Amino acid sequence: MNDDAPTPTSNQAQTKTVLCIEDEHFISELYQRALSRAGYEVTVEVDGKKGLEAAQSDKFDIILLDLMIPTLTGIDVLRDLRDATKTPHLHSKIIITTNLEQREEVRADIEKQADGYLVKAEITPHELVEFLDQLQIAA
Amino acid sequence: MDNFEQLRNQVRRYLFVMLLLNNVLIIEAWWANVNYFHINDTIFLIVISALGLGLPIVFALATAGYVLQPLKALWQAIVHIAPGDRPVAAPKLEELRVGRELVTNLCRQIYQMATQAEHPSDSAQGATDTHARFIMNNLPLPVFVVDANQTIVFANEHAAEYLGNTTADLIGTNVYSMLDMSFPSTNTYDTWLAGVRGKNATATSYWERVRLNIADKRPERLFDLAAYYNQGNVAGLETMLVLFDHTEEYSQDDQAVSFMALAVHELRTPLTLLRGYIEVFEDEVSEQLPPDLQDFMSKMQASAEQLTIFVNNILNVARVDDDQMTLQLHEENWPTIVRRAVDTMSLRATVRGITLETTIADNLPTVGVDRVGIQEVINNLIDNAIKYSGNSKKIAIDVSLNKEGLVETTVRDWGMGIPTSIVPNLFSKFYRDHRNRAQIGGTGLGLYLSKAIVAAHGGNIWVRSKEGEGSTFGFTVLPYVQLADERKQATNQEITRSAHGWIKNHSLYRR
Repeated sequence: MNDDAPTPTSNQAQTKTVLCIEDEHFISELYQRALSRAGYEVTVEVDGKKGLEAAQSDKFDIILLDLMIPTLTGIDVLRDLRDATKTPHLHSKIIITTNLEQREEVRADIEKQADGYLVKAEITPHELVEFLDQLQIAA
Repeated sequence: MDNFEQLRNQVRRYLFVMLLLNNVLIIEAWWANVNYFHINDTIFLIVISALGLGLPIVFALATAGYVLQPLKALWQAIVHIAPGDRPVAAPKLEELRVGRELVTNLCRQIYQMATQAEHPSDSAQGATDTHARFIMNNLPLPVFVVDANQTIVFANEHAAEYLGNTTADLIGTNVYSMLDMSFPSTNTYDTWLAGVRGKNATATSYWERVRLNIADKRPERLFDLAAYYNQGNVAGLETMLVLFDHTEEYSQDDQAVSFMALAVHELRTPLTLLRGYIEVFEDEVSEQLPPDLQDFMSKMQASAEQLTIFVNNILNVARVDDDQMTLQLHEENWPTIVRRAVDTMSLRATVRGITLETTIADNLPTVGVDRVGIQEVINNLIDNAIKYSGNSKKIAIDVSLNKEGLVETTVRDWGMGIPTSIVPNLFSKFYRDHRNRAQIGGTGLGLYLSKAIVAAHGGNIWVRSKEGEGSTFGFTVLPYVQLADERKQATNQEITRSAHGWIKNHSLYRR
């Protein structure tokens, strides 16, 4: 790695890009602020269709996906992103961010397809950043 | 009939050889006399007559033994399997020299018929009682009959259809592997059966809202279950289960859970924002604020966290009540979990001027717990201690290995304590002392939930309290080794039953 320069935050080498698919503007605003400050480049989409299109471009390292969103639900988006015929070669990590509570089986099924599952009410924006930083290390 | 023909030929050949031998010997004797011995006629007649009589006796004895071998083997087979204690060894078919194929086939059929008489299941489709068969297969309810080993010995057509299987596939399998049931209370099929076995000659029971867990994607089923038990049935038919499907009605009721999910979603969204904004303020302005405002900020944050726990409590109580809560027990490092829980609660304690003192023994084994679930227990106990601390400013959290080898965690406060009279009701839902209601907020969900979660872990929760001197709440969890051992020792059917977690076919309160 580059040990020639001190690394104040996580934004070394290259900037990680995040797509935040979230219809609650206040929440995306908070996340965008916290993530930008931590060196991530954030794009926000407010509905499922646009979110899916943006995600399929595969320009993002991380996709934050809410489940209760208009036009296409988060589950639809997730399914299409995991369907190789519709979305070949997706390198992005998909993190579900939701406040929706679901049946155990449904959640387990979603978790299996995603790279992370977060309940928004249980984390602060800082904790989200920490989670994503960890994800980079693991990757 | 080929085998029979074979036997006949064998006997024919044998008799032919014997008769031939007999005749040849007599003729040979006559010829030898004429040419060599020249015994006088009278004596020769006596000799030849004796020979004529003696040889058939020898041959008859040999023939009887030979020809009756198959019959003897069949006799042995029948007496061998007959009820009662006349021990006759099973025939050694490989030693048969005559009719082996025929006898082997016949013996196989005899054994098969005997098995069917003992376990009519195998012949369920061929039951002789046509009335019974007609009723069973046309009864528009799934019916299962189970033997003492919990093996399905009969299932009617509707049962097979209900499970998306064939009767042939069902019969002979373990009932728990086919009917993976969850019960809404501690009174499960299991506990009932254990209770009536060996005590009652017959017993019946009825359960409502039993859930059938289906492995694949098909929607789960909800039904009422009726069971009939009878002891020592000669045919091995111990229990009959009848299912009354109510999936539609009951799942409509379950929309209440969906309502809960929606309500929780609506509560969580503003909560997410509150916590987010508080964090932004903490980061960016709190340093410029005077101490009293900084203190308010902390209190605001603590309140938001408290609300988060409360929302989770409501949700989890709804899950417990609907038998929807499943816990996945994994091997975990207990001190890490306790420290994390204490950490989560520290702000809430701090804003009330309370210090949390944690003491953790260093001889602890790893434990088998559901991390999220059990942390809620610790949070709730600390939350309670904070609420009931009164003027005392210290809460002690102690973790140690108790005498039974279980990992015990206690939360002690020096607050107002609990009157002895209400201690027994503490863990009931919504219970709070009427005298305290005015003074203390809270819903009383926390202890109810904690008890359910601890019990599902196989542990115990308890309280010791003295009015005016404070309370100690404690609970135990199992070392992982113990949990793993129990799983290993469990019989096959138990493993199947607990494959999705502990609770299937057991209520949440049991392991």
